[in-house]
Amino acid sequence: MLQGMAVGVGAAFGASLLPRQASAASSQSGSPKRIVFFMQNQGFDPATCIPTGMTSSGSLAKAKLPEPIEALEPFKERLHIINGLHGIHTSPSHSAFFGALGGYRGSDGVPPSASTIDYELSKALPQTLLPHLCIGMDSIENMRTKPTIANLSASGAGQPIFMYSNPNQLYQMLYGGISTGDIRRQHEARSGVLSQIEQMAAAKGRSLPIADQQRYGQYVQGFRDVNGLRDRLDTASDHLRKFAPAVDERYTKPEFETDWHDVLLDLGISALTSGITNTLTIGSGRGEIFGAWKGLGIEQQGHNLGHMTQHENPIWIKIRQYNSRMLVRLMESLESVPEGSGTMMDHTLIVYTSNNADKQHTNGANWPVMLLGNCDGIFKTGCFTQLDGKRPINALYTTLLQVAGQNVDRFNMDDKLAKKFDAATGPLKEVLG
Amino acid sequence: MNTVRFAWVVLLSWGLLSAASAENYTPGQKVTKDYDSFAKSFLASHCVDCHGETDPEGGLSLHDLGPVDEVNASTWTSVWAQVTLKEMPPKDADQPKVVERLQFSDWIVGELTRVMRDKGGFRAHLDPNKGNFVDHDLLFGSLPDGIKLELTSSPARIWRVTPQEHITRLNELINTEPKFDPEKPGLRTHGDVVPTNHGGELKLYFGTDRIIKWQGGTVAYATSVKSVPVVLSSARAHGLKNYPDFYSVNSAEATQIMGVANDIIRYMAYGPLSIANPEQITDDPNSYKMEGDIRGLPTALVYSTKVVRPLTPVYELMKEEGVTDERLRAAVDDLFETLTFRPPSDEESDAYLEIVKQSIEKLGKKDGVVLGLSSLFLDRDALFRPELAENGEPDQHGRVMLQDWELGLAVNHALRFIKPDEELRKAIVEGRMRTRPDVKREVERMLADDSIRKPRILRFFRDYFDYDSGGYICKDSKALADTGASTRGTSHYRAMFDATASTDRLIELILQEDKDVLKQLLTTDKVVATRTDNVYFGRKRTKEEIALSVAAAKKAADEQKKKEAAELEAWKKANPGKKPPKSENQKPANVNHNVAEARLTGPKDYARVSHRSFGNGSMKPERVLATAPKGQRLGILTHPSWLVSHSDAMDNHAILRGRWIRERLLGGGIPDVPITVDAMLPDEPHNTLRERMRVTRETYCWTCHQKMDPLGLPFEMYNHAGLYRTTELDNPVDTTGEIIYSGDPALDGKVGNALEMIDKLAHSERVEQVFVRHAFRFWMGRNETISDAPVLQDAWHAYRDSGGSMKALLTSLLTSDAFLYRKVEYGRDR
Repeated sequence: MLQGMAVGVGAAFGASLLPRQASAASSQSGSPKRIVFFMQNQGFDPATCIPTGMTSSGSLAKAKLPEPIEALEPFKERLHIINGLHGIHTSPSHSAFFGALGGYRGSDGVPPSASTIDYELSKALPQTLLPHLCIGMDSIENMRTKPTIANLSASGAGQPIFMYSNPNQLYQMLYGGISTGDIRRQHEARSGVLSQIEQMAAAKGRSLPIADQQRYGQYVQGFRDVNGLRDRLDTASDHLRKFAPAVDERYTKPEFETDWHDVLLDLGISALTSGITNTLTIGSGRGEIFGAWKGLGIEQQGHNLGHMTQHENPIWIKIRQYNSRMLVRLMESLESVPEGSGTMMDHTLIVYTSNNADKQHTNGANWPVMLLGNCDGIFKTGCFTQLDGKRPINALYTTLLQVAGQNVDRFNMDDKLAKKFDAATGPLKEVLG
Repeated sequence: MNTVRFAWVVLLSWGLLSAASAENYTPGQKVTKDYDSFAKSFLASHCVDCHGETDPEGGLSLHDLGPVDEVNASTWTSVWAQVTLKEMPPKDADQPKVVERLQFSDWIVGELTRVMRDKGGFRAHLDPNKGNFVDHDLLFGSLPDGIKLELTSSPARIWRVTPQEHITRLNELINTEPKFDPEKPGLRTHGDVVPTNHGGELKLYFGTDRIIKWQGGTVAYATSVKSVPVVLSSARAHGLKNYPDFYSVNSAEATQIMGVANDIIRYMAYGPLSIANPEQITDDPNSYKMEGDIRGLPTALVYSTKVVRPLTPVYELMKEEGVTDERLRAAVDDLFETLTFRPPSDEESDAYLEIVKQSIEKLGKKDGVVLGLSSLFLDRDALFRPELAENGEPDQHGRVMLQDWELGLAVNHALRFIKPDEELRKAIVEGRMRTRPDVKREVERMLADDSIRKPRILRFFRDYFDYDSGGYICKDSKALADTGASTRGTSHYRAMFDATASTDRLIELILQEDKDVLKQLLTTDKVVATRTDNVYFGRKRTKEEIALSVAAAKKAADEQKKKEAAELEAWKKANPGKKPPKSENQKPANVNHNVAEARLTGPKDYARVSHRSFGNGSMKPERVLATAPKGQRLGILTHPSWLVSHSDAMDNHAILRGRWIRERLLGGGIPDVPITVDAMLPDEPHNTLRERMRVTRETYCWTCHQKMDPLGLPFEMYNHAGLYRTTELDNPVDTTGEIIYSGDPALDGKVGNALEMIDKLAHSERVEQVFVRHAFRFWMGRNETISDAPVLQDAWHAYRDSGGSMKALLTSLLTSDAFLYRKVEYGRDR
């Protein structure tokens, strides 16, 4: 039985969950039960987060957070700004795509060569119904025409995980089962049809040539995922009722893309607070070099947003502030749900960075990261750490896996690669409390 | 041949080759060599002298590269690219023998495929962007001794439908497109692809053929009408976008398709009643009272009562009360065939009948039928097209010829987006789609009949030329204003989408004539134009000319004022004491001083545009067939549609254009941009593009850029909106360039501008052959290999000998072994 789960969340799920091999996890108090990866595209300029004048590691207590992240000022004591990790090996110019969360080489059109950290953590953290949820925020046109896209997360080599960008579809997926009466009957009938579609699709894939099997398999797996999840969510309906967000006009008639960004975040937060999900990946810009934030009053959009400096640029100040408000909303929502002897936020870590290192055209020598969350002292917080550029982002990911109970020294980096790209082995000690 | 034999002896005497000269090499078969016995010595003899341990060229050391593994995979990929492209060893060094180079290249591909199999796979050699890596001279020249080709085929596979095909298929269910009108062949016709709308979106529209009134203006209309965007997507923006192994359908797309299916089935059954209230459907628009401001809402529309959409068994099923097995099965079978292009097998029909029945049981007839039938939209064969060749005897080379439905649908797909016509269907059902002559017969029949629309052919030209992305390129307002094009609202983007449709039509006209197709495309002086094109095909005036024009306009305005004043005086004199009539206060005509507009006139023609999507602001099909201003344009590469598609927000994209010429006309290959490169031109608004491109002339960059830049810079005779110009930043514009390393000595040489360059290229045999290679890729859905040399040569000869007929080229390709035969690869590395 998984330890440390809050009473309100744990009981209903015990029977329906698959046992996990990571039973050594979560034996410390405060150990994280969930993690959020917030990936803002077009790069994360360190000047937008490092307090002016701080050039070496130190406490944030007396420092003032820069304007773009000033919303985090009240949460400073659980913030850790890390500068000086690198991602040279991920080829991050014009986005590292899967390589950002994978810690390997990524590029436009290149399939993921291994699973990404968010997926691995979703398996290692205490298990939930839909362990890993990915949401993607983009320009409204792109979100409409491509409501799903896979650029940041993967469950294995050549196996991308799709981000959801249409909040209506996401809502149906998560909360279709808490309906009653007519809608319930619809839901059941639809479930029946989808199960049969899955069977027929699988049958027609049995004799395909080997080269097509994986590709067609994705198609079949899609139905399996939808059907399997729906079954599991159906058994948790009473609990979900308390957390499902209200569907308003923003879902059906968004004025700006930010309307959808906001409700997608609501849905993501509700998936966390209801306990459905333990890993939330937010792709703001969806891992590409496009994106729009017209709802913030920003006319420019797309590729050109990555062609401008971010420091002291009103456009990027707005975007980063918007990100920060989202982070605050995340933290406040999690704080409002009791868990163990504290709140959900006490068992959550938020990782904020970019899929494009420090800027769009970069060699990845510097990859700034912000961590939010203390987890009862497991993580060191309230400080700024300047590293020497010799440890890769993989080292941070290794740290997270270890904290989640995995006995690993490296992540997606074998000894040969490490010789070139990592000056040490094991976790990032600077991150741990 | 003698030189080859000599080199062979020399190499043998150095003991560097372990293979005996009597062995034949068959490209494509697994190279059974390993690093130690083969690759290592290749590297030692051809690479390490310059790429050794101390001070290696380009900073690349290969002396301790070692066998292929996941760490050095990217280095090996670069080695593969450079050696296969014959970039390395450099031209002044000893070259490996043809066979040796081929073996080395194939060996690396084999190793990378093996090593990367569990890491996402190795596909670089299969990418259409690298199709040119196969040596052109080996494909079209004679093969040296020592190479024995295997008979070619394509792999058995399933091929996801493209977004355009999918939406056209769905459109068939709810919209009746007009019959072919031989008097107006350019108009949108049944069988054409669904065109993008005024904004470049690909959308399916419901009921717009019956709307007779709406409230509000253009935006209100666009918001009120029912439309769904295309569901499937294409990951690529340039070049060939649709190889079979590119795409699958994910769960979110499948979910979306079910949603769209829902809307479609309801519309099939009830027409506009499924998207409007009964009182909105009337032939007397005034009888429907629109209370208050309801602009943008679905209730702000009035539909006529005339039924226009196709009426199908689904309609019949829902029209009458109750359900019978017979009507249910008719609906299932008909819908299945429209979605998959073939009739269902008995098992399939039974299975879907069962699904619909169960849904009806749970939800009643109305909702049950819709839910049940929506499952048909997700059948494997509604989203993928199989070429599995499961029923057939392999020949002695292990190849099976496609048969019956698979063959018929493959042939259909080569040309069309909707289901096989009656005659092809009959041939399939009667067992007359089994042989090469069968295929030839159907292909020739369909090619000869203009009323049988063949959007797939236009799709090839769009993918090949890439003239269809101009409207998607965001332009900086000031930079656009400087070109002389209008920056008012979205007029530029509208003009670009109109231009795409116009270019489609121009290509159609050339295909209709079917003579010297490629040369015509590259050198035609014809333009299919709208009125706005007078600006785009015009000439940007120089600073002095603009000043003169402004002065002249001012002078004319002053004289007009004087004239009016004099007339007023005269009137006052003739009518003392009376009040003069109000002067008309004519606004001065909007003169475009910046541009010397073209005067494009000619006979009327039409382009294919989307259904009315934007009310009065919707796209219009009317065009004229005109002649471009003399001495300024030559063929499609000088049309704004192509030029703007290869530009960016601020300026021309000479590198992209150069790359296009290098790859699509000269058959050259460019290796990927190295990851260490920060590929940006300096931001210097007072320097010309050519000056800013000086950064590509650094030693490290120039090796690749010399193959692109000199081919793209001749297009500097146009600005980035495609207007012809003689000055850039108020100085005479430099339009010189050069063709180098084309592979055809007659082609190489300096050129004064794009017209000169295009003219040279259009008369080149090599360029024709490269064109044929691209056609091969598009229709076979894969890159050519050396084994395809006979097919390519036959196709090119067919094109040549018929005087440049696209029809002849297509017939040759579609009756080739590569198209007809499949090899099933079970458990074999590709």
